Amino acid sequence: MKLWIRRNLFRTWWDGVLTVVFGALAAWVIWSLAEFVFVTGRWSIIEVNLKLLLVGQFPEESLWLIDGSVIAIAFWLAAALGGKPQAAEDRQSWGARLGDTLQRFGLLVALGVLLIVLAGTEASLGIAAGLVGAIVVGRAVNAARNRWAPIQRIPAIIWHLALLIAPVALISLTLMQSDVQLWGGFLINFYIAIISIVLCFPLGVLLALGRKSTLPIVRLISTTYIELIRGAPLFVLLLLAGVALEFFIPSEVAPGSVFRAVTVFTLFTAAYLAEIVRGGLQSIPKGQIEAGKALGLSTVKITFLITLPQALRNVIPAQIGQFISLFKDTTLAGAALSIVEVLKVSEAITKQDDFLGQGYIYEALAFVSLLFWVGSYVMSRESQRLEKRLGVGQR
Amino acid sequence: MSKKVFTDATKMSGGRGDADAIVVMEGVVKRFKDFEALKKIDFKVGTQEVVVIIGPSGSGKSTLIRCINRLEEHDGGRIIVDGTELTMDIRNIQEIRRETGMVFQNFNLFPHLTVLTNVAMGPRQVRNMPKAQAEALALELLTRVKIPEQADKFPSQLSGGQQQRVAIARALAMKPKVMLFDEPTSALDPEMINEVLDAIKELAAEGMTLVVVTHEMGFAREVADRVVFMADGEIVEVGTPAELFDNPQEERTKKFLSQIL
Repeated sequence: MKLWIRRNLFRTWWDGVLTVVFGALAAWVIWSLAEFVFVTGRWSIIEVNLKLLLVGQFPEESLWLIDGSVIAIAFWLAAALGGKPQAAEDRQSWGARLGDTLQRFGLLVALGVLLIVLAGTEASLGIAAGLVGAIVVGRAVNAARNRWAPIQRIPAIIWHLALLIAPVALISLTLMQSDVQLWGGFLINFYIAIISIVLCFPLGVLLALGRKSTLPIVRLISTTYIELIRGAPLFVLLLLAGVALEFFIPSEVAPGSVFRAVTVFTLFTAAYLAEIVRGGLQSIPKGQIEAGKALGLSTVKITFLITLPQALRNVIPAQIGQFISLFKDTTLAGAALSIVEVLKVSEAITKQDDFLGQGYIYEALAFVSLLFWVGSYVMSRESQRLEKRLGVGQR
Repeated sequence: MSKKVFTDATKMSGGRGDADAIVVMEGVVKRFKDFEALKKIDFKVGTQEVVVIIGPSGSGKSTLIRCINRLEEHDGGRIIVDGTELTMDIRNIQEIRRETGMVFQNFNLFPHLTVLTNVAMGPRQVRNMPKAQAEALALELLTRVKIPEQADKFPSQLSGGQQQRVAIARALAMKPKVMLFDEPTSALDPEMINEVLDAIKELAAEGMTLVVVTHEMGFAREVADRVVFMADGEIVEVGTPAELFDNPQEERTKKFLSQIL
């Protein structure tokens, strides 16, 4: 230990100075943060407004639908991905597995505990119990599928559709019960981000292929689209979607602001994604295409079976980075389109009578930052795991 | 330009007639910008014949066999493979690619797929064979090149020699009428060259038609029915291994052989 300190922190006098200066700086930052979190921070504003921050004006009596959807999604994720039997060579001890799980989900669990404490209701404990139960059952279901022959005989498509019944039913029920336009808080950020990610991915891939197409018209359209969108600030596009649409469409039939936000985020991110995917396609050696041709594969099959899968795998970090940035950019929708997303809510609550003019904005913004930080960090961690599992850089 | 071509490259070994020809090249020209890579090549390969092409680098050997399955587009002359002429028509090109297998210097296996899937790719995607049948065929071919136990691994987990044998199995899976080898051992460590050459020799012994570009003269001498010597985009000299190696007629052949032997 002493030796390690000597070697790594105080090897030369200059190292020593740097260690002391940055050590002091780090200590000061951590101290100030801790002081804010535990001493000076007035978290009552979050406690009182937790529901507003998370789901906005969502009708109280339908809240169970959101709880149910979240639990159903957790079950689906666990049943589709969790509890896989491990290959003998990388089977781990219980301790190591617990450590891994904590590393992966510890932050989410901590956030969950924090929310329960802030909410301070029995209902939130019930939701937490439901979540844990759903994950345990989900893993057990997947484990059963991997072990029992009768279940294995069910075709994969039917199995996965069956697993999706509960989440899809609950989500559609939620959507039917309440107008998306009335949603708010972090829920609407999450909703816009997920829908946009799902939609922009295929569009981005198509644009990337279009830009590399041998047909001049397709290439021209794709290139123009990509360069136009990439040349415009996202905020301006969001403002345009809010204002300019009325020029062309009468306001009675014009789509709602959430729809417009999703459209802009999708179109915007697709342009960036297209360039990322194109970069991935260019990194595939020519020999791969030649090997496909020599086998007699058609151009379409070479693209979808050989070059595209490798290209997408090679650019996972950049893709996820783009998705994370989209997730965080959803906070722009409040200012540009008057959507009551979490940032808008956090500003609004500081203007409530109890909190007005007392500088509560720090606490409100800190909470919003925490939500986004946890979300982004989990996405980034999972992308690293995915990379490892797909063996990027190894094969 | 040399005064005359010593041996006619269109005369197939064993005195076979044209009906036996599976690859026919007539006056084939290939240019890369201003550089003429192939200068009016006349060349034939007979069914079950083993032709080895040798020559200095840049002589057009690789270009010649890459023209046969349209990895390079020729600029003049005619190429006919198994009765189908290579034209701009994509159907003809696909037809010919189905009948020719190619093995590359750098293996070019698909790194994101297992060895078994690599080999099953052709039959499954081009010949629309059911999955189970294609995989059975793939396993049979992997057994033939002596690496059935590697079926579930990924290419990067294999040695160079093993990868090249997988590549041979992958080409064979299409049941081609001609196999083209583009310097199949040039990227291999010396100790792995023989396992690949042995696999090719076995194909020759089974009566497969082979066109092999290589620098392995021992292999050429042992397996070839005909050896073709190329230089500067021309076929300079053609003969049986004994004729060409032991009694070369052309100056360029003599010079090349004296440099490498």
